[in-house]
Amino acid sequence: MKKSLFTLASLLLVGHLATAQKVEFEEYDLDNGLHVILHQDNTAPVVTTSVMYHVGAKDENPERTGFAHFFEHLLFEGTENIERGEFMKIIPANGGKFNANTTDDRTYYYEVFPSNKVELGLWLESERLMHPVINQIGVDTQNEVVKEEKRMRVDNQPYGKFLEQVKVNLFTKHPYRWTTIGKMEHLDAATLEEFQAFNKKYYIPNNAVLVVAGDIDKTKVKKMIKDYFGPIPKGAPIVRNLPKEDPITTAIEAKAYDSNIQIPAIIQAYRTPSYKERDAYVLEMISSYLSGGKSSKLYKKLVDDKKMALQVGAMSISQEDYSAYIVYGLPLGDTTLANLTKEIDEEIVKIQTNLISERDYEKLINQFENQFVNSNSSVEGIASSLATYYLLYDDVNLINNEINIYRSITREDIQAVAKKYLNPNQRLLLEYLPEDKKQ
Amino acid sequence: MKTKISVLLVLFLMSVGVHAQIDRSKQPEPGPAPKITLENPQEFQLKNGIKVLVVENHKLPKVTFSLRLDNKPITEGNKAGVSSLLSSMLGNGTTSIPKDKFNDEIDFLGARLGFGSQSGYASSLTKYSSRILELMADAAINPLLTEEEFQKSKDQLIEGLKSQEKSVDAIASRVGNALSYGKNNPYGEFTTEETVNNITLQDVKDFYTTYFIPNNAYLVVVGDVDFKSVKKAITKDFGKWKKGADITTATPATTANVTATQIDFVDAPNAVQSNVVVTNNVDLKMNDPDYFAAKIANYILGGGGEGYLFKNLREEHAYTYGAYSSLRDSRYNAGRFEASSQVRNAVTDSAAVQILNEIKRIKTELVDPKDLESAKAKYVGSFVMALEKPETVAEYALNIKLNDLPKDFYETYLEKINALTPADIQKAANKYFKSENARIIIVGKGSDVLTNLEKTGVPIKYYDKYATPVEKPTYEVALPADMTVEKVLQSYIAAIGGKDKLDAVNTINIVAEAELQPGVMMNLDIKKTSKKQFAQEIVAMGQSVMKTVMDSKSGYVVMQGQKKEMTEEEITKSISEAAPFPELNYLNNGVTLESIENIDGENAYKIKVSEELSAFYSVESGLKLKEERSTPMGSASLFYSDYKDVNGIKFPYKLSQTMGPQKFDFVVKDLKINEGITDEDFK
Repeated sequence: MKKSLFTLASLLLVGHLATAQKVEFEEYDLDNGLHVILHQDNTAPVVTTSVMYHVGAKDENPERTGFAHFFEHLLFEGTENIERGEFMKIIPANGGKFNANTTDDRTYYYEVFPSNKVELGLWLESERLMHPVINQIGVDTQNEVVKEEKRMRVDNQPYGKFLEQVKVNLFTKHPYRWTTIGKMEHLDAATLEEFQAFNKKYYIPNNAVLVVAGDIDKTKVKKMIKDYFGPIPKGAPIVRNLPKEDPITTAIEAKAYDSNIQIPAIIQAYRTPSYKERDAYVLEMISSYLSGGKSSKLYKKLVDDKKMALQVGAMSISQEDYSAYIVYGLPLGDTTLANLTKEIDEEIVKIQTNLISERDYEKLINQFENQFVNSNSSVEGIASSLATYYLLYDDVNLINNEINIYRSITREDIQAVAKKYLNPNQRLLLEYLPEDKKQ
Repeated sequence: MKTKISVLLVLFLMSVGVHAQIDRSKQPEPGPAPKITLENPQEFQLKNGIKVLVVENHKLPKVTFSLRLDNKPITEGNKAGVSSLLSSMLGNGTTSIPKDKFNDEIDFLGARLGFGSQSGYASSLTKYSSRILELMADAAINPLLTEEEFQKSKDQLIEGLKSQEKSVDAIASRVGNALSYGKNNPYGEFTTEETVNNITLQDVKDFYTTYFIPNNAYLVVVGDVDFKSVKKAITKDFGKWKKGADITTATPATTANVTATQIDFVDAPNAVQSNVVVTNNVDLKMNDPDYFAAKIANYILGGGGEGYLFKNLREEHAYTYGAYSSLRDSRYNAGRFEASSQVRNAVTDSAAVQILNEIKRIKTELVDPKDLESAKAKYVGSFVMALEKPETVAEYALNIKLNDLPKDFYETYLEKINALTPADIQKAANKYFKSENARIIIVGKGSDVLTNLEKTGVPIKYYDKYATPVEKPTYEVALPADMTVEKVLQSYIAAIGGKDKLDAVNTINIVAEAELQPGVMMNLDIKKTSKKQFAQEIVAMGQSVMKTVMDSKSGYVVMQGQKKEMTEEEITKSISEAAPFPELNYLNNGVTLESIENIDGENAYKIKVSEELSAFYSVESGLKLKEERSTPMGSASLFYSDYKDVNGIKFPYKLSQTMGPQKFDFVVKDLKINEGITDEDFK
């Protein structure tokens, strides 16, 4: 079991634990290194089988971006025992549903079935890991699908390239500098052998966590897991040695153009620490304080009262090595981007100079508690959280304890973190403009 | 010796058991259908009649309270809408807590609270649950029903009705209920602007006093509670609620189905799609032995993308985006079967016929066992997945009470589904899907669809949008014998300003804007001159979508960046329309007067300008109401309205373009006459 910084924080807050939820789980390793987490909840005859692989866009060759996401498609094609195209048909015909998603850090696959189909779910996932068929026809098919996806989600989407622009400006060395969906010319140039090699390197039991959650009989399920996943050979350990970024000390100013928009946007992006750090949690609270709901500071001031902005928001994009903290605004009427920046900065300065009010603080805690509780309201959500906390946060217990980190954050912490990270000389100021403004 | 052999045999078998290999080349068989372990609610009753069901579930520190007043269906009569008003007014303060303070506290707690006219719902974290319960009870027992809130709710309700006025789907639903159940039946009556205007604040208060009573109420508590303490809290908070006078409404009788299948047609001149519903009333209750067979039969017929209806109407015939069926059970004789689809005008009759065919098919042909297995699996899967939500658990607990179901109804649910045979499905289909006694309710554009509907041979009855029987609509008004195309055009020219004024116009530039979807604008720029010059550009989201430029003898079109020269034929065709007022030239081009047609309720002369283009001029005002153009992609209509005076000439300020099911309203932003246009604009 990996250790975490936060166990201490949670121990200090024993008093609160009485009211917190408790998600019971059991975890162990197979001989081939596959980590298994079981969560038994027999209230509903539903079972989620999921596998999270510790492979994401940051593991890609800079000349072959988009690989990790491509696999999310490719690995539904078929296996040695599942004919091409059948994988996605078997699931609904058995009353189940499925999905998969990719980030810069990991790739996640899951199915939800009535609980008597748990073996089917395990079979599907073990087949995917053990011997997927990766051939040219599959690669060609999924290449088209991924291109459609990019057209729909990025190219054709107003503000669709904003994240790409933030990343490329905020990161110069670390692989977070490219997008998860990647470059289509990289995918076009990739050979079948390259895809097979990527699979061989990252899709190995010792780089994955299997979660079986829901209405299960643990003894039976453990045997099934051993039967289906046990024979899969261990892979060579993965060593990551990713470059570190130099701190930002002078503001980065950049412009980007988008043909899908008419209204420009101003984007402030700060490079912040990994989500494993306590400060990242504080930043989550600041983003909620600034733009979570209609009574939040930025929304109330700029959208409701002053009517200077069509939309304002703050969000943190939390990742394993670094995070990005982003505040953005779309001006309304004659408001200039500079004025909007000024107004937004004022609110940040307020957080840096004054403590937020007691009532606002309490409201934040209430909001985070609600969010925390609701994130565990479905077995599907629990499975995903368990996998994430194990694989990326190194602490499965966060599923029960994470809220204590938020509770331990004081108003003074909020002020200190705002002072530490949210300074104009530490950020990217990105003017995101309509294409026709390009000179 | 013998014993030894048997021992060896046992050992041998054991070792086989241990080393048995799974056969991963085959898809594993499912285990036995899971039994559902539903927690049994704990119960108690308050003196005022409220029955409380408590489902303790400590998995999450969260509690939900749902209140349901189990009164018989209520008829609102000429004050229909009073229940909607009550539900939007409830939960906005109490007699002791003002509205703003009440709502702010709910937000601060991160809680949710809401009311229907016969229900209530609240949820929060455990630690705030006693407060949210207090607020819920206070809001239910001592609601703040103010004149201000009443007026606001009334305005919103009327606004809502107005926005639905032309909605084909809203009309279909209203007429469907009214015809199936009768207008005076609680399930058939409907709210109109008139009935809402009959309502006073006192009516809302009276409705509240009469019907918002605890006598037959159920309060279901699900979540992280301790029975004893929640019982105490509920007794304290909801115990204050005074019992009301018992309601003595009679349960309405089941409405008989029609003796022979008929079409009930409602004319909606604006419709670009017809709403087709094949429906009959059913007497189906949850405790009927064939309940599951009936539900699965409905699922196979029209439950989703694998259903007979979807496969036929969408996949095979491409009439529609979707086609589905529903089968509603009711303990108050209000069960109903509906098979429905929204289809293109042109295929309305065929769609009705195909829906009937599929209903007949499931009644006459045994369902393929594979389809049945797949349907069962999907049905079981959805049922099972819904069980995860605590709300579902509560709903099931309540359903058992309300519908007088056996205690193990839900525990044995999956077994009962899995036991169904193709014969069971066929039997249920025959019992509940009355293709011989159905109403085929069609809301659509009569002038486009009626002729073909008549050909189906099914008798047709006509109704207005409020389900009142009407005569068959007539679409052809006889042309007066002395009417000529010249008179129509002269009357149009006179109506917009007169020939002299029009002749003085050399150039026109019209700039208009349409909203494609909220916030996304499309701009239209049209330039015309009396020298047969024409330029038009459509810009969407900052990008030029289409640009046409014509200068008497030459012209080109740029679409998505691709430039294409116009052919001579194309130029000849378009040139007559290029003038600022093409009507001035029509008389020389051999246009003909065709008929009188109804355009959105207004009679208009139809003039055929060319094979592709017809124009419509109001009989009453003389103004141009519409142009209809046939293209290889289907017919496109341009409606003209909102005429405004510019330099003594009337111009339409609203141009509504329809293309297939899409409709864009261009609103003129700027209109310039004889200024700002040069020959450069047509290069």
